[in-house]
Amino acid sequence: MAVAESIRDRASTPLSSEAAADFLFMEARLLDERRFEEWRELFTDDGYYWVPARPDQPNPLDEVSIFYDDKDLMETRIKRLRHPRVHAQIPHTRTAHLVTNVLLEPDVPPEAEALVSSKLLVATYRQDQQDVYAGDCRHALRREGGLWRIVWKKVVLINCDAMLKSLFIPF
Amino acid sequence: MTGIRELVKPDRVHRSVYLDESIFEMEMERIYGRAWIYVGHASQVPEPGDFLTTRIGRQPVVLSRHEDGEIYVLFNRCGHRGAVVCNEAHGNARHFRCCYHGWTFHLNGLIKAVPLQAGYSRDVDFDDPSLGMVRVPRTDTHRGFVFASLAPDGPTLAEYLGPMTRKIDDICDRSPAGEVEVTGGVHRYEFPGNWKAQMENLNDLYHVPHSHESTTSGGRQFRRTGTATGSRLTRKDGSPISFWDRTGVWAFDGGHSYCGRMPDAGPVSREEHPDYVAALEARLGPERAAEVLDADWHNAIIYPNLGLQSMAQHIRVIRPISVDRTEVLVYPMKLRDAPDVLNRTVIRYLNVTHAAASLIQTDDLEAFGRLQRGLPADGSEWVFLGRGLGAEQPLEDDFGYRSEGTHELPLRNQYREWLSYMGEGAN
Ligand code: FES
Ligand SMILES: [Fe+2]
Repeated sequence: MAVAESIRDRASTPLSSEAAADFLFMEARLLDERRFEEWRELFTDDGYYWVPARPDQPNPLDEVSIFYDDKDLMETRIKRLRHPRVHAQIPHTRTAHLVTNVLLEPDVPPEAEALVSSKLLVATYRQDQQDVYAGDCRHALRREGGLWRIVWKKVVLINCDAMLKSLFIPF
Repeated sequence: MTGIRELVKPDRVHRSVYLDESIFEMEMERIYGRAWIYVGHASQVPEPGDFLTTRIGRQPVVLSRHEDGEIYVLFNRCGHRGAVVCNEAHGNARHFRCCYHGWTFHLNGLIKAVPLQAGYSRDVDFDDPSLGMVRVPRTDTHRGFVFASLAPDGPTLAEYLGPMTRKIDDICDRSPAGEVEVTGGVHRYEFPGNWKAQMENLNDLYHVPHSHESTTSGGRQFRRTGTATGSRLTRKDGSPISFWDRTGVWAFDGGHSYCGRMPDAGPVSREEHPDYVAALEARLGPERAAEVLDADWHNAIIYPNLGLQSMAQHIRVIRPISVDRTEVLVYPMKLRDAPDVLNRTVIRYLNVTHAAASLIQTDDLEAFGRLQRGLPADGSEWVFLGRGLGAEQPLEDDFGYRSEGTHELPLRNQYREWLSYMGEGAN
């Protein structure tokens, strides 16, 4: 929890845009460094990670999504990524998450204390194949035990309704 | 190239069926140009003016609902100089308008208006359907499932579907209204391999414990539970490899087949959903209601481009792109008038199994890509499909065969049909 702890001091009222950006950068680093278990720990117990399958998808319940993980499913997903015979990830995908255009949004949802918007560019590489994904990202954050945690994270890829290649690492 | 008939042996096929571009071209012409191809579902175009675009083989088509309420399948090609007319995946339109010179068409394909019509000779008949967006030669539906054939002649849809009709019925009959609605979005993904790899995989129970080991290891398989709010997928012990043999596979004329139900499939319980079960029993009678709730099949293949799954009920459409690239679309089927929780559970489960980021399908796609990369290697030119050859048993009450679950009967059955399409008039 080193990363989350390093921003413990910043978990003071209100969240500054600088602290929000740091939080997002460090989250991105956890994913790029394949510290998936620590990434999962950033979420509240009722937290979820959602990547809709079309741009204006109203909710994750009535239509399918590219990712819609609660913490249980995150755990299963991470265990699979760690499995010695996860054939589709041998060799595994390397990623570089680039986070930019970080803004604090005024319309904070009731379940959160801050809503952060950002733009995301993720380059992925596996077996001589490099791909780039881009999208709009929203983090709903809440303080718990002196730490900022993710209540939900929603990533709307610009090509979310395209014919996609297999995906493995969260955006 | 060797003669087409030389490419398929009783227990093996030649690698060129996966690798050779000219064979792929021939498949598009002889298989996708003749068979009944699933195009879409009526519930995707519920209102007059609704349309969606797709492909039959590689030919762009539009599925539309005309103002008369009828469904049409049109070539997505302007009758003037041939431009694609409908450029969106789906929508609603009063008419179709070509971007190039502005010809407009009714949703049944006939010309509505041609700009500066006076500039054409009086002999030109603008009511001639061939100057419009031309209807594909044949269209038919079964319970909202729209199929089209590019061949003017051939078996009727009912003859073509044969015993597979019952599989469509099983799913539709799970709805208290007897109807499914394809309104739950779509998982859309591609893989770097040949389209037949996906069709073969749908009834290949031999691969399951190996390909999907990272998710099902220890003989475990996901189990869906009826919660609409949590993506809780508990696991259930059991299903050793021998289980898959007991499951069984059934193969029929036309390249169609299905496999038996999965270890973790279970009927919707009367305790949890008494009104729903009662509604089904009232409509179907208790016997048929039990049959559709606890369907005895898992994946059903309607050759060459459609798969249906009974557990997480969905439609899978295969759209070939080239000899080594294929698109797949997975649509959940919602049961009309069924409890929301049932439909939402299917959607949640499909995210885990069939999203581009799924924990299951990605294993299969990896394998399809590896087939495509491995087959050019010399050593053998043949792909061995001999598992269970000779063990198939003829069915008593249906024309078809049953074999053990891990047997490659469905694959050989597909190649029998493949050859009958491809071999016609060939040496
Ligand atoms: S090509 Fe369509 S109007 Fe000319
Ligand atoms: Fe599989």
